[in-house]
Amino acid sequence: MSLEERELEVLIGPQHPASGHMRMIAKIDGDIVVELRPNIGYVHRSVEKLAEAKKFLQIIPLVERPSLADTTANNLAYVMALEKLLGLEAPPRAQYLRTLLAEINRIHSHLYGLGIHGVMIGSSTAYMWCFGDREPFIELAQELTGARLSYSYIIPGGVRRELPSRFTEKVEKALRYMENRMKDYFNLYLNNPVTRARLEGVGVLSKEDAIRLGVAGPNLRASGVPYDVRKVEPYAAYPDIDFDIITEKVGDAFARVMVRVKEIQESIRIIRQVLKKMPEGPILHEKYIKAISPKMREYMKETGEVKFPGIFANLRIPAGEAISRVEGGRGEVIFHIISDGKMSPYRMRMVTPSFRNVILFEHLNRGVRVADIPAIYGSLDYFPPEADR
Amino acid sequence: MQDLLSFLISLLFRPCIFIPLIFPGLTVIFIMLLMIIWLERKIAAKVQLRYGPLYVFKPLGGVIQTVADLLKDLFQEPIIPKTVDKIAFLLTPIMLFGLAYLPTVVIPVSPTFYAFRSDLSLLLLLTLTTLAPIFTVLMGWASNNKFSLIGGLREGYLVISYEIPMFLSALSMAVLYGSLDLVDIAEAQKGIWGLFLNPVAGISMLVLIYMSTGKFPFEIPEAESEIVAGAYTEYSGIMYGLVMGASYVKLYVLSLVYAILFLGGWNPLPASMMDNPLLPGAMLFAKAFILIAIGVFLRAVYPRFRIDQAMNIGWKMALPFSILAIFISLGIVTITGGM
Repeated sequence: MSLEERELEVLIGPQHPASGHMRMIAKIDGDIVVELRPNIGYVHRSVEKLAEAKKFLQIIPLVERPSLADTTANNLAYVMALEKLLGLEAPPRAQYLRTLLAEINRIHSHLYGLGIHGVMIGSSTAYMWCFGDREPFIELAQELTGARLSYSYIIPGGVRRELPSRFTEKVEKALRYMENRMKDYFNLYLNNPVTRARLEGVGVLSKEDAIRLGVAGPNLRASGVPYDVRKVEPYAAYPDIDFDIITEKVGDAFARVMVRVKEIQESIRIIRQVLKKMPEGPILHEKYIKAISPKMREYMKETGEVKFPGIFANLRIPAGEAISRVEGGRGEVIFHIISDGKMSPYRMRMVTPSFRNVILFEHLNRGVRVADIPAIYGSLDYFPPEADR
Repeated sequence: MQDLLSFLISLLFRPCIFIPLIFPGLTVIFIMLLMIIWLERKIAAKVQLRYGPLYVFKPLGGVIQTVADLLKDLFQEPIIPKTVDKIAFLLTPIMLFGLAYLPTVVIPVSPTFYAFRSDLSLLLLLTLTTLAPIFTVLMGWASNNKFSLIGGLREGYLVISYEIPMFLSALSMAVLYGSLDLVDIAEAQKGIWGLFLNPVAGISMLVLIYMSTGKFPFEIPEAESEIVAGAYTEYSGIMYGLVMGASYVKLYVLSLVYAILFLGGWNPLPASMMDNPLLPGAMLFAKAFILIAIGVFLRAVYPRFRIDQAMNIGWKMALPFSILAIFISLGIVTITGGM
């Protein structure tokens, strides 16, 4: 019998409990995966094309939608590109608030990924715990921005809201809770012999391959490449913050999980520093504050909520090109905006980390066992809508 | 009238009716099923910081949630895909459940209360429990679905890797007590329980019981995130209820056997209480129920193994250990001159 006849083609998804919004076409020989091709595009929403017909401020909620668990990265990257074109920089306090939200978002984005990965290898407890423990951070973000997931907090020239009262204490409480919970995670899930058996040595991505394939984010760092946009090209308040790039050497599924776990701990460190060093001052660029009517400025001072100046409605961006990069929870987010001086971008390009990581499905799933497919899938923290955009 | 009633009661308490119909048979099986599925969800919920079933009969924490689920299953449309092998598809759930339930007739409830006594009852019981996996494999083929096929094959691979060590572990106890009769084996444990005499057999048998009934971390044949529901993928409604119930019933039967082989069966009840089947039956049930509860609790602790890892455990760990268990039994028999 020839090899081709031995193979069984299995279509995993899109109607499958663990496929997400995508399909994987697996060719299996017995229990060995000969080839696995990701079939993406099921949740393509043409964000880039839609952006060409929308005003610049309307695009903020639009770019957040594709990656709902990690909205701040897209929001921040888009606004940073706009600011480059506008030639202005947000005041320091706004930069710190952006960093604060980005790190809160990173924590709950990582918990989301870890939880999904947990249930993919069969640990419903890890799933429930991670999703339950996202809640304190989502609540924090809600208190800061008014929304649970799609914050639209970052606007050209600053942020939308001032820090709420007694926020520092609430953050500290949530951080301490998370630090305590981490011990439980290690005891029950990460040091569980079955978890180790399922993840260690599975889906090994070598350093060379990781660089060659252009992998982004924690998946890249798990293969021992210390690349983090926050260090390589610092933005927001990151130049003032002391933090380490988390790397792992092995590059297997467990290393990718551990990078996320350690990044949560690192984010906790960053948030503490941000709150400590938070400078006083305005949260919106003075050019825009001047554009707000005096009455509304009074209201802004009282409530800490920014009232959009009239020019935001028909914001015109000077003609030109700008590229911005941000390290989101899942990896590097890149925005490339070409403006021709009108009210909408001439072209907007959005490169998301999931889009860059999707190549790993084919690369890592060669020669593994059928049960390793979800173990590898989950470890990549791949989010189909983010890749499809 | 009075006579008729007492006649009926005495009829009910005749072993050949009591055992298949009440304990350990159908009635208790259904109560156990309803309780254990609820308990499984409740324990998992407790570990996972949520409530679990709650709203169906709130004063008792949603204890009859499973009844509601069963009713839902009963009235759901049983979908039979066009491409399945109809006879096999429809018969296998019934055969699975029936075969899971059948071994209960061999289980004695007290030294004097049993449906029938045979000097080969342990062997008979183990043989009956091995028949069911054949139907799981058949189910995988009949469903005409790739996930079902993989699930059925996985079950087949698992069966051959757990069955031999499980038999050896169970038979090491027969060697120890010099009998294949479950009544004799239980009676021989008046003093020390089998688990303490031969802990190697006890532990390997317990692990293999969980493996054979698809409890975590061995929930491999129906791994949801990999192969949807394994061999059960195409089933819906009450047919799915039957196949899902079958694995719990198998766990229940094997737990009863384990309680008799290793946990002293109805001991340590004094002989004066043995005339009525209720007390020794309750004792036996309590021991088995604890084993089932441990089995379902594992869901909250472990992820699932890969099939090759589970087979490694079966062949490379459980098999040597169960052979070791036989030698331990032989050693004890040689030293003490038979129990």
